[in-house]
Amino acid sequence: MGDSKIQTYIKGLGFCGFGAGANTAEVDVKDGKVLRIRPMRYDKKYTKEELNAWKLEAKGKTFHVPMKSQIPPLSLVYKKRVYSPNRILYPMKREDWDPNGERNPQNRGKSKFVRITWDEATDIIASEIRRIEKEYGLNSILVQGDGHGETKIIHASHGCAMNLFDILGGCTYQTRQPDSWEGWYWGAKHMWGCDPVGQGDIGNMLHGIANYTKMLLMWGCDMETTTWGWGGQLASNYCFWLTELGIKQVYICPDVNYGNAVHADKWIPVYPNTDSALQLAIMYTWLQEDTYDKDFIATHTVGFDIFKDYVLGKEDGIPKTPKWAEPICGVPSRTIKALARKWAKEATTIAHCNGGSYIRSTYSHEPARLEVACLAMQGLGKPGRNQFKFIEWGTYGLPSANPAPRPLGRTFIDKAFRGFHFHPLESFIPKTLVPKAILGDYTEDNPLTWYGYTLAGMPREDQFIQYQYPVPGSKEIHMIWTDTPCWTTCWNGGNSMIEALRSEKIETVIAQHPWLENDCLMADILLPINTKFEEEDIGNDMYSGCFNLVMHEEQCIEPLGESVSDYEAVGLVAKKLGVYEEYTQGKSIEDWIKIGFECTDAKNFISYDKFKENKYFAIPIAEGWEDDPIGFEEFYKDPEKHPLNSPTGKIEFYSEELATHFPDDKERGPYPKFIPYGESHQESRLHPRSEKYPYLIVSNHPRWRVHANLDDVSWLREIPTCKVTGPDGYQYEPVWINPKDAAKLGVKDGDVVKIYNDRGWVLGGVLVTERIMPEVILQDHGARIDPIEPGISDRSGANNLICPTNTTSKNAAGEVTSGYLVNVEKVDVFELAKQYPEAFKRQYEKGIGVSQKNRFKL
Amino acid sequence: MKVFVIDVARCNGCYGCQLACKDEHVGNDWMPYAKPQPDTGHFWMKLLEKTHGQVPKVKLEYTPYPCMHCDDAPCLEKSDAFYKREDGLVILDPVKAEGQKDLVEACPYGTVYWNEELNIAQKCTGCAHLIEEGHLPRCVDFCATGALRFGEEEEFAEEIARAEVMKPELGTRPRVYYLNLPKLFLGGEVWDPDIDEIIEGAKLTLTGTDGFQMVTESDDFGDFWFRKLNAGSYTLKVEAEGYQPVIKEGINVDKSLNIGDIPLTKIK
Repeated sequence: MGDSKIQTYIKGLGFCGFGAGANTAEVDVKDGKVLRIRPMRYDKKYTKEELNAWKLEAKGKTFHVPMKSQIPPLSLVYKKRVYSPNRILYPMKREDWDPNGERNPQNRGKSKFVRITWDEATDIIASEIRRIEKEYGLNSILVQGDGHGETKIIHASHGCAMNLFDILGGCTYQTRQPDSWEGWYWGAKHMWGCDPVGQGDIGNMLHGIANYTKMLLMWGCDMETTTWGWGGQLASNYCFWLTELGIKQVYICPDVNYGNAVHADKWIPVYPNTDSALQLAIMYTWLQEDTYDKDFIATHTVGFDIFKDYVLGKEDGIPKTPKWAEPICGVPSRTIKALARKWAKEATTIAHCNGGSYIRSTYSHEPARLEVACLAMQGLGKPGRNQFKFIEWGTYGLPSANPAPRPLGRTFIDKAFRGFHFHPLESFIPKTLVPKAILGDYTEDNPLTWYGYTLAGMPREDQFIQYQYPVPGSKEIHMIWTDTPCWTTCWNGGNSMIEALRSEKIETVIAQHPWLENDCLMADILLPINTKFEEEDIGNDMYSGCFNLVMHEEQCIEPLGESVSDYEAVGLVAKKLGVYEEYTQGKSIEDWIKIGFECTDAKNFISYDKFKENKYFAIPIAEGWEDDPIGFEEFYKDPEKHPLNSPTGKIEFYSEELATHFPDDKERGPYPKFIPYGESHQESRLHPRSEKYPYLIVSNHPRWRVHANLDDVSWLREIPTCKVTGPDGYQYEPVWINPKDAAKLGVKDGDVVKIYNDRGWVLGGVLVTERIMPEVILQDHGARIDPIEPGISDRSGANNLICPTNTTSKNAAGEVTSGYLVNVEKVDVFELAKQYPEAFKRQYEKGIGVSQKNRFKL
Repeated sequence: MKVFVIDVARCNGCYGCQLACKDEHVGNDWMPYAKPQPDTGHFWMKLLEKTHGQVPKVKLEYTPYPCMHCDDAPCLEKSDAFYKREDGLVILDPVKAEGQKDLVEACPYGTVYWNEELNIAQKCTGCAHLIEEGHLPRCVDFCATGALRFGEEEEFAEEIARAEVMKPELGTRPRVYYLNLPKLFLGGEVWDPDIDEIIEGAKLTLTGTDGFQMVTESDDFGDFWFRKLNAGSYTLKVEAEGYQPVIKEGINVDKSLNIGDIPLTKIK
């Protein structure tokens, strides 16, 4: 601040990655160390008039765009991440892995690491690449280069290695499916198009909801939590304003999530992943009471009659009445009818915020499609009747994804982005199928097959194309290079991934990461990566909803230890392979920053020199944004002139495409249904498996992490809902248990329980709370794994290790990571310590978690 | 004279205030006002949280809780290690606080902490080192929703007029003012089991033993809420046209309560 010895820098502290920034902060540095992190002021260098600072007006009240960036607490504490004792500071090699001798793959996750030099590390990696290329071909190298985390442009956290392998001639790359909005991608797209995301048009809806909506259904949605990673707290402020405007916020979810806790006018608890039954009963009520928009159905949709017959029970003999739905979803039938009537009467919008059991459980395409059906029956796009989302505002640069007043230009810095690229490669494996691919005995003649490139953002038609692994002419995977070492704690069935990483077939595992966590434990070589504070870069803020920014992110501090950026680490390998010039295209960081600036619309307003002097530029807001269409307004008004990008241009209750391509698919038929279980999954309370595993687990996007990020921040771990300290002093991941179940299970606050099913077990620290409905437990995902027996059990509570390995449904390669069956049982941690002495004796740093010292010989 | 004004109704429970305090004070030396705060265990600004009610009527209350910077502070009486600045902030002098573990007991609000490593008692300084440079305390600077505000007493006259303070019975005259401090609630639902429908517009009358009375109506989910209640024993009367009234006596509200579903029977 005023101290002359303090230097102030601007950094984007969002966690989206993929070159899409948010959470702009000011970083004060003194004596070469980060002193503090605080919100930045948009009007630091530009006046409100220059910015054309926006305001919303409704019902005589005004909402002003904040002039202070709305950063979340997760960005605020980032200093702890930079200086974490868990940083990897030197290149490391697994001590019993010898590339010229015994590789001991079975010891991955068990054996320790020894320090090596950068020169040794890059020699080994370069020679391993050449060896694999010669023995099997480059397609036998799997590159895992996607993911969230620090958002950097030139020094991109994820995917820099993809650029190297493009130069070398290819690799197999892991394609990341839309993990936080599976159902929209695999389901809703087949009803209303809405490529590339599958979610609705939310254009100008901050203005639209405030003025026209009466009831906002927060369905499986926590707008106070998921927003934090990339977006910050504008949504929180906005919801407080909606309350002032008298707009009712009804939360439909199994838990009192953090949005529900402070903003809800009503909570309707629903069993995880039974929303389809609730939706069908609502539509049944509308059909019975004749309270749906028949004109809209006639002019804006196709295939309604067959769907209507299903709802009324003419197809399967089961009318989907509220009484039918009540025991399935746990909502009293009278409440279902009351909700249906209020919805029909009052302008209602449904809001989401990614994650949770609603959109990433088994068959998530069904609730997604049934929601589109509900929206259609009440006239989608009518004033106040739309679908909304509190996160990823402006994603893919789409106006239809930006609900805030429209800026006069874009800030996406694609031309300087050196990470993950979106162009398809010939050889790839969907991220959800990686363990299956490795553990199966697949050949080009007996391949693993699936539908779709699966990359988030691919068009609907791609879901009808069959792909295979290995591709013709290729062999199996024998080497993995990951800069995204969090598969185990973030994807579908991490225990199977641990098994895959320890497979004999995998000869080499390279991981590059700033911290020793998760999949890093199973690596053979670890490369030390620095944080964005340690590098100069260009950055943007395109998700916060306040202003779109381009910023010059100067270097704040010197790199810690021998760490380098991801871009530089791959560059060091490229040097050894003799392709450094191609890799950097002969450009310096300064060159890339300039290229980056020139590809944003900031160049239309300000010179490059002035930009560097001011350190940031905020794109002004357009005049007349108030008149921009709201959500599906144009489609509603004129579906012929403004068709959807579905095959017919209308909402398709019956999808001819699905009927044609997958005529025998009982799990995702041509029109949406209630599918409790089937060939791929038996995770429903209606299935006999529930006798053995009676609880459904809610595994939300974590409150105090962004997926796997930030699990080692002592300041967060002091927060009561972040960790529960067990009787042995270990900080366990909380498990929410309703008092009724706690009595049945004989557990109290602070007890440790085992959460288990046939895929393994993880531990958790009990919080007895009314924030979760009975017969359901909640444990956030993404705890830093701390294996008890690798591939079987885990102390940290990384419950993705035991979630289903099968994909969303037979022909939909998404993940199922919430809303599955488990049982819960109290454990004695001291007894466990006797049983598993090695795991329980690991050195533990209070506030940080399990210590790096257990693994590193420095 | 400076004051904090905390609007609890605007707090979203993000813990940013508690964390910003740590970002400013852990590992940073702000002498003469504060030596570094330990990494964990101190909460110079503490966020309190409490879950109210039972499924499906559950709310959370979050209350940011710093040093109250009292004008008649018991700590000032107890030890000269505490002093009051002209701007109203109460400081615990790090030099004088050395070795004095009993200073932790000096504050009836429990806002003084013991730093074992440095052998000193410590607490919130109101970020005096920043105030002097014209900046805000870090907790206030961070708060995204405006729940925390800080400034001159005169500027907040309107808020202070309707504000409460913590533990007013102590007469400590805190300079931290609270708006919308949560109280207890009583909620429930009214319905007709014969037709399996909720009842909208039922009249609910809540009467306390002290004669306190509150009237509300059930909404279009059949729900009713009595908010901002004091603890006590209450009688609830439920009336709806065409139904036999129901009276529930001796409802003990010592915590927020979802009284559950109240079935009504039609008058035959």
